[in-house]
Amino acid sequence: MNREVTVRQISFLFLFVSISSILRQVPEALALEGGKSGYLSPLWSVVATIPLTAIVILLIKAFPGLNFYEIMVQLLGTFLSKIIILAYLLWILIGIVAKVTIYSLTLQFTLMPNTRSDFFMVIMGLMVFYALLRGIKTIFRFSEFALGTVIIFLVVLFVCAISRIRTDYLLPVSTIHLKDTILASKHVIAVGGNIIIALFFADKFGINVTKQQLRKLWFGIGVFTILVFIITLLTFGISGPSLTKSLPFPFYITVKSISFFNVFERFEVLVTLVCILSDFIAISIFAIILVRCFEWLFNLKEYKFLYAPLTVIVFYLTYYLSSTQFEFNFLYRRIIVNLNLIFEFIIPLLLALMCFIKKKKIKKQY
Amino acid sequence: MIYIFSITIIYTFIKQKDKLLREKRNMALYLVLSILGLSLGVLYIINPYLPSLSTIMGKYMK
Repeated sequence: MNREVTVRQISFLFLFVSISSILRQVPEALALEGGKSGYLSPLWSVVATIPLTAIVILLIKAFPGLNFYEIMVQLLGTFLSKIIILAYLLWILIGIVAKVTIYSLTLQFTLMPNTRSDFFMVIMGLMVFYALLRGIKTIFRFSEFALGTVIIFLVVLFVCAISRIRTDYLLPVSTIHLKDTILASKHVIAVGGNIIIALFFADKFGINVTKQQLRKLWFGIGVFTILVFIITLLTFGISGPSLTKSLPFPFYITVKSISFFNVFERFEVLVTLVCILSDFIAISIFAIILVRCFEWLFNLKEYKFLYAPLTVIVFYLTYYLSSTQFEFNFLYRRIIVNLNLIFEFIIPLLLALMCFIKKKKIKKQY
Repeated sequence: MIYIFSITIIYTFIKQKDKLLREKRNMALYLVLSILGLSLGVLYIINPYLPSLSTIMGKYMK
């Protein structure tokens, strides 16, 4: 059956979207809140990400062929669903603005410190606009093809970096830090929650979604956890927790000291490239979700006219939300992470509970 | 940038005229979003040093 989007593509997209946050924000946040043992936090995150994946699978199975909004309508009614979608719309808008801000800040921090942020934003805007014109499938296929290369690159980096890991930066691990590492895992969970993207595109999977296809989501969350653990371990092991917590992009600095058998070095440029690609995919997919939220909220049949005004809003909101690295750090740690936990965990959890309560009624329908 | 954005919005209006005029809802949404975006732009041109939302929240959340 020729589906518009497959579960495998969603799984790959989830990983690709998460990569930039894993490389940029997670190690710094874990060092700051988890201390020396912060690199263990990704292991705790499975306590939340596995149930979330189970919830996503449960909702897809219970409502075959329906998207997130339609599932909400079935469980909560139209009025309440519209209010929740409005909240999701605002959350996605903040998410896009934050992604655009951190994308331009990353480029200024790494490769082009003297270039104005507007330039980066316009280039990204044009790229996203072109991608959206080509259609949703292009974005999914791009992430599907590019993810393999990115993973191979990260594996090569890991192999090259093993000899440079200092065990005194990682050990000893004490039970005193247990509470801190558990609490710090919310930063990993806030990124892993991106798996709910699957619900927004659940109507594109078709009615018959097999167990084998849904297993790809488990694969996605498994790879995500391993990836976060390895990246954090490398950053902590090479740069040390105290340097990691004080740098805006610690993995970039860590990679500076890695070389491939003392022959090839300067991998940090490739790390920046991976982040830019990940940001591009994230902004494109958030833009599609934002437009879908508008479609659901206002019952729109046409949506292409929304692109131009929304681009203007996102562009200027980047100046009003946060414009410096310090402001962004505050926004990310205090606002975005907590908002992510609400929209990626609490609301889907409530929907799953409603699904259990209305189980008999749903079974009669499907 | 505001000039480029204004031209883009007018261009989009001309290109999508039929779809926009067919339904009042589309037109209203397009106008509200365009006005909101352009007012944010004008505000930024008038005062580019307005404190960001993060700065304001930072003061109250400490």
